[in-house]
Amino acid sequence: MSLRPEQSAPPRPDESAAVVPSARTAPRLAGLEPASSAGEIAPELWAGLHLPGLEREEKLRELATAMQGFTPRVSLEPPDGLLLEVRGSLHLFQGVDGMRAALLRACQDQGRPAVLSFAPTPMAALVAARGGQSLTVLRRAQLTGKLAALPLSVLRWPVPVVERLRRTGVRTVGAALRLPRAGFARRFGAAQLATLDALTGSTPLVRRLFRPRERFRRRRELTCELSNHDWLLNALTPLLEELEHFLRARHSGVMRLDCLLLHRLSPTTRCVLNLAAPAFAAAQLAGLLRVQLDTIRLPEPVRALELRAATLLPRGAGAQALWRSGEHGAAPGSEAHELIERLRARLGAGALHGLTVLEGHRPERSWAVSEPPPLSGRPPATAVAAPAVPRPLWLLPRPQPLEERAGLPRRGGALTLASEPERIESGWWDGGDIARDYYTALDAHGVRLWVFRERRAPHGWFLHGIFG
Amino acid sequence: MGDPKLARLLEHPAIWRGRSAAKREVLPSGFAALDEQLPGGGWPRSGLIEILIARFGSGELSLLLPVLACLTRATAARWCVWVAPPLMPFAPALNERGIVLDRVAVVGGERPLWAFGQVLSSGACDAALAWARQPPARDLRRLQLAAERGRTLGVLFRPRRAARESSPAVLRLGLEATAAALRITFLKGQGSTHSVVELAHPHQPEDA
Repeated sequence: MSLRPEQSAPPRPDESAAVVPSARTAPRLAGLEPASSAGEIAPELWAGLHLPGLEREEKLRELATAMQGFTPRVSLEPPDGLLLEVRGSLHLFQGVDGMRAALLRACQDQGRPAVLSFAPTPMAALVAARGGQSLTVLRRAQLTGKLAALPLSVLRWPVPVVERLRRTGVRTVGAALRLPRAGFARRFGAAQLATLDALTGSTPLVRRLFRPRERFRRRRELTCELSNHDWLLNALTPLLEELEHFLRARHSGVMRLDCLLLHRLSPTTRCVLNLAAPAFAAAQLAGLLRVQLDTIRLPEPVRALELRAATLLPRGAGAQALWRSGEHGAAPGSEAHELIERLRARLGAGALHGLTVLEGHRPERSWAVSEPPPLSGRPPATAVAAPAVPRPLWLLPRPQPLEERAGLPRRGGALTLASEPERIESGWWDGGDIARDYYTALDAHGVRLWVFRERRAPHGWFLHGIFG
Repeated sequence: MGDPKLARLLEHPAIWRGRSAAKREVLPSGFAALDEQLPGGGWPRSGLIEILIARFGSGELSLLLPVLACLTRATAARWCVWVAPPLMPFAPALNERGIVLDRVAVVGGERPLWAFGQVLSSGACDAALAWARQPPARDLRRLQLAAERGRTLGVLFRPRRAARESSPAVLRLGLEATAAALRITFLKGQGSTHSVVELAHPHQPEDA
C-alpha cells in the first residue's frame, strides 16, 4: 500500500530551492534588468555598426544582407555604417551581450572587423560606434552622459563648422549638446541642429529600410569545353541545386530563368525559360532546360555557364492531391502549367493559346485568341447562346474567292446551295464594313461549305468556312 | 461466364482485371446508332483513336463534338487541346454547340507530333485532336502509350489511304460524307470490324 501514487513523497526542499532562484534570474539572463532597480529598457534599441575602411557600397549591401538574420530592420549608412533595430530580437540571443557577440562574429565571418554600439536612438548608436567605443546605452536618460566624451569628429559635420566650434572651445559632443539651442541653428546651421536633436531622440531620425536584392546569379567555369547536351546539363545541375536552395530559403520561385552558355569566340548563347507558374525545383528546371537545349545549335563548345534569375515571386505551398488528375474525377493540378512550360520551351512563347467569343456579327471579328485558360477545379460558367443559324466549325483566315458559272459558285465542280441566305451587314462604323449573303453549300464530295456572295458589285462568291 | 452474380460482382470498379476482360471506361458518343457499334458502347476514355477521312471537312469534327462538349462541361474538366489544326476552329460555332471555351486550347507551330505527344502524356487534357499525313509507326506507338498515361482521349485525323497501314490505335474509323449522311466504317476495334454505320448528317436541318 505504501507504493500507491497518492502517497508518494512531497518534493524535497532542495529541489524547489533549485527552481525558484533560476526563475528569478531569468530576466537578468535575458539581458533585461529588473524594472524596480534600473528603469525599463527603451522601446527601441539600435545597434550601430562602424566598419572602418569600407568604401564600396556593394560590400556594405552584402553585410546588410547577412545582418537580415538578426532583424528585418536594417538600414544602410554609407559609406561605412549599418544600423540595426534589435529590441525585438534580444530575447533570441540571451540579451544585449549575446547579441553583441553574435553580431561581431557575423562581421568577422564576412571578413570585416566592426565596432558595435547599442543606444536607444539610431544616431547615437552610429555616432558612438564611429567614436570607436563599444558603448551600451539601454536607457534614454543615460544617453547624454555616455555620449558627452566623444569628439566632435564623429558627427561628420563639415570642416568649417567643426573649426568654428573648436574656436569657441567646443571639442566634444557633450559640449555641443550644452550650447543654447536658440542660437545654434543660426550660428552653425540647421542641419547640425537636426543631428543633435536626432542624437538625443527629441526628433526621430527617419531611415529607409534595406531590402536585400533578390536575384540569383551564379557562374561556373568549366574545366574543359563541352558541347554534349547531357554533359552540359550535368554541369548545370549544381547551379540549379544552388538556385533551388536559394529559392527555398526565400519561399519564392522564378517565372523566368536565363541560362547563358559562354563560348570562347562566338557570342554567348542564351536559353530563356518562361514559366507558367513560379517554379523552384531543380529537377523541373533541368527538364525544361533539356527541352530548350534540344532546340539550340551551339556554334562552338561551351566554356562557362551562368544562371540568372532576376525577379523572385512568392509561391504558395504546394499540395499534392490524392488522386492524379482525371482519375476519379480529380481536378487537374500543376500538370497544366507543366504542359504550357514544356510547349513554350520548345515552340516559343506563343505556342499555346485559348479561344474567346467576342460580341459582334462579323464572322472575322466574333472571336479572338486569348491566354491559355487556367484549369480551376470549379465548373465553368455555362452561357451558351441558342444557335440561330448553324455556324461552320472551321473559319478560313480570309475569304477565298470562288469561280462562278451560271450564277452559282464552283469549287472543283458546281456547288449546290443548301440553305436560305443569311444576310450579314455590319461594321460601317469602323471601316471594316461588310454586306454579304451567306449560304450553306454542298460540294460534289458531300463536304459542307459556308460561302457568301458580296452584296456590292462585282457580287463575287467567296468561301469562308467549312462545317467539318 | 456462367454465373450472372459473379459477372455482376466482377463489374465492380474496385476489381482490376486483365485489360482484355476488363470493361474499359467509355464516353457516350452522342449518337445512339454509333454507340451500339463502338466497343464498350462509346468512345474510349483514354487511348489513341484514328479517324481516316477522304477529304478535310467531311463531318469528322461534328462526329466528335457531342463528346467534346460533354467532356468540357464536366465539373473537374481538363483541357481539350487542338494540336496544329489545319484551319482555326471557329469559336462562336464551338460555343453554340455546347463546348466550354474556357477548356479549349490551341497549340500552334512546328513539330505537331511532338506537341501532340506532350499534350497526351501531360495529364492536363481530357481530349486532344491532331492532324497528320504520314506519321512514322514508331511515333504512333509512342502516342498511344502517352494517351494511356495521361488518361486522355487522343484523336488523330489521317487521310483515307492510311487504312492500308497497321496502327497501334485502339480504334480506327473511316469516314465518308454523302449528300445526306455520314458513313462510318469500322476498320479496327475490339469486337466489331468492317461494320458500317450511317448517321444522318449532324448539320442537316431537321425539316429538310
